[in-house]
Amino acid sequence: MSNITDEGDVSGSDTAQKAPGNSSVADMQISVKRWLVKTSRNPFVTFSSLIQPVIFFVLMAEVLGAIVSGALAQTVGSDINYITYLTPAIVIQSALAAAAVSGIGLVDDMDTGMFEKLLASPMDRGAMFLGKVLSEVVRIVVQTTIILLLGYVMLYLQSGASVGSYLQTGLLGFIGVIAIAVIFGGAFMAFSNIVALVTHDQEATTMIANLLTFPLLFISSAFVPLEVLPGWIQSVAVVNPITYGVDGVRAFMLGQNVMTVFDVTAFSGLWNTVIPVVAVLIGFNVVLGGIAVHLLNRASKAKVQ
Amino acid sequence: MELQPHRMQADSSCQPNEEQLAINAADIHVTYEDGTEAVRGVNLTVEKGEFFGFLGPNGAGKTTTIKTLVTLLHPNQGSVIINGHDVEKEPQAVSESIGYMAQETSVDEELTARENIQFSCKVYGVPASEQDERIEKLLDLVGLTDVADKRAENYSGGMKKRLDAATVLVHRPPLVFLDEPTTGLDPEARMRLWNYFERLNEHGTTVFLTTQYLEEVDRLCDRLSVIQDGKIIATDTPDALKSAVGGDILDLTLENSSRQETERAIEVARESDALETATIETTDDGFTITAENAREAVGDLFVALHKADVVVTGFDVRSPTLDDVFLTLTGESLEASNQDGANEQRATVPEQEVAE
Repeated sequence: MSNITDEGDVSGSDTAQKAPGNSSVADMQISVKRWLVKTSRNPFVTFSSLIQPVIFFVLMAEVLGAIVSGALAQTVGSDINYITYLTPAIVIQSALAAAAVSGIGLVDDMDTGMFEKLLASPMDRGAMFLGKVLSEVVRIVVQTTIILLLGYVMLYLQSGASVGSYLQTGLLGFIGVIAIAVIFGGAFMAFSNIVALVTHDQEATTMIANLLTFPLLFISSAFVPLEVLPGWIQSVAVVNPITYGVDGVRAFMLGQNVMTVFDVTAFSGLWNTVIPVVAVLIGFNVVLGGIAVHLLNRASKAKVQ
Repeated sequence: MELQPHRMQADSSCQPNEEQLAINAADIHVTYEDGTEAVRGVNLTVEKGEFFGFLGPNGAGKTTTIKTLVTLLHPNQGSVIINGHDVEKEPQAVSESIGYMAQETSVDEELTARENIQFSCKVYGVPASEQDERIEKLLDLVGLTDVADKRAENYSGGMKKRLDAATVLVHRPPLVFLDEPTTGLDPEARMRLWNYFERLNEHGTTVFLTTQYLEEVDRLCDRLSVIQDGKIIATDTPDALKSAVGGDILDLTLENSSRQETERAIEVARESDALETATIETTDDGFTITAENAREAVGDLFVALHKADVVVTGFDVRSPTLDDVFLTLTGESLEASNQDGANEQRATVPEQEVAE
């Protein structure tokens, strides 16, 4: 045996050992941390999913705000400012923008070999992917908070309204809004990863995310009360997850039942919106998440007969 | 196989028990979804502490085999025991006891070298108290200390490879798999990695290395297997394999390489008594002699040729190369075989698919 002692313990047989391995929770933390560091390395990419919603927020508030007050008075009440009405749409838009690029990281990991490197490591596979999902949840929470703050600043500048009139349900509402945004985001993260796993292509994954965003936003209750929109839009909105995400957030902000696509009266007040909305969004999560997990499993096991 | 006797006999007279084996793979078959039989009955036994080479052309099944050994692929048939753990039954224990460096450089380019190694430390559960010291040592070992806090995307190909090599060693695995670690590197980067692997092995780590270069095997490996079309065609020490070619090789170029003149020259060479048990074959511009004493015979041979008025315009004496070993083993040169591999989609595409 050589006596280069200073490097000896890097690889020496005397010290060669089996890796002790981690718990799944520890594996998840390791994965979250990696993805958060990566996110922080790409401020441009991170902010790009905020910039578009913010621009939309300002433009829509100015342009549409002038003309939809009549429609608002008919549907949700005459004392509702359009900025307050619009905030849920922007919250959901930003959650969508953050979630819809989730698959890019996965494609990137497959391209750089990190995906396979981790598959060959003792890291728990479930924890490895859950960690990535959690890092995106963190991002959605941060973005949602920023949008909520921005909305209030805009409202205050326009009308000097109190926080209470902006977010009617207070702290519970804040938590509720974030919860809806996260559950909504989950469905689109799954969708984005499905696209990534099917196409194996970063550009395709980005493009499909961008292509979907605008039609889905407009064919929903996001910007204008659904009741005043054409019949076909109302029909399509029923199967559009954005409708449910926006309605859920809006119920917390306005403190009332704002469900637009069907009537539920089994609960009281805003819960008539929140409970069915959460149920539907979880449904989307289960279906899309199931497909994504199936595809991930297939990608993790090699293509052997 | 004729070419296996040397080591195999030693093995059978003193059969290593299970504990001494780092790798024990028996009759592995891997068939891809599209029906390609990438690996067809591979047997491998690698003892602890060995530097083992796995040599073959593109598409021969090297990567498929290595992926089977490191738990990434499940063989359709056969058993794989790594460090005493069954790959099918205890994949976790296997991956904890090995380091695997894929053919494709696998580093997170958005992270720095230090962060990449740190991440691997965590993934392999290196105790937090030891991480800093180990990271510094690994950075030093692969010569990346100066750029440790720069993002890997700024590194050259060779630097990324070295970083990749460092990340697979954080947990001091007793067995390391290296899949064509030097393919595509410049000579200096290759030399640095070789030194590094040699040192690793000197310290007792078992190394399993796949390569297309005989030079690499020659320099590094104690023993090697040659694989072609998913089957191992020979297993031996590099020297034994080369001597099986039948000695050194003398290439001669003739001024007049017409068929008739070449045959006359070959006749002169045969009758010159300079050569012992030589194999002679014609080439495009002359002929090639393979003989144990090819080097010593050059002088006498040239005198004989000169006397017979055969004009030699060029010659080259060399030791056998992988290509020669290959030619002897398969009757087909490695280069030609590689070209076949590239043309034959079925042979190469599945490996890439899995690698993605």
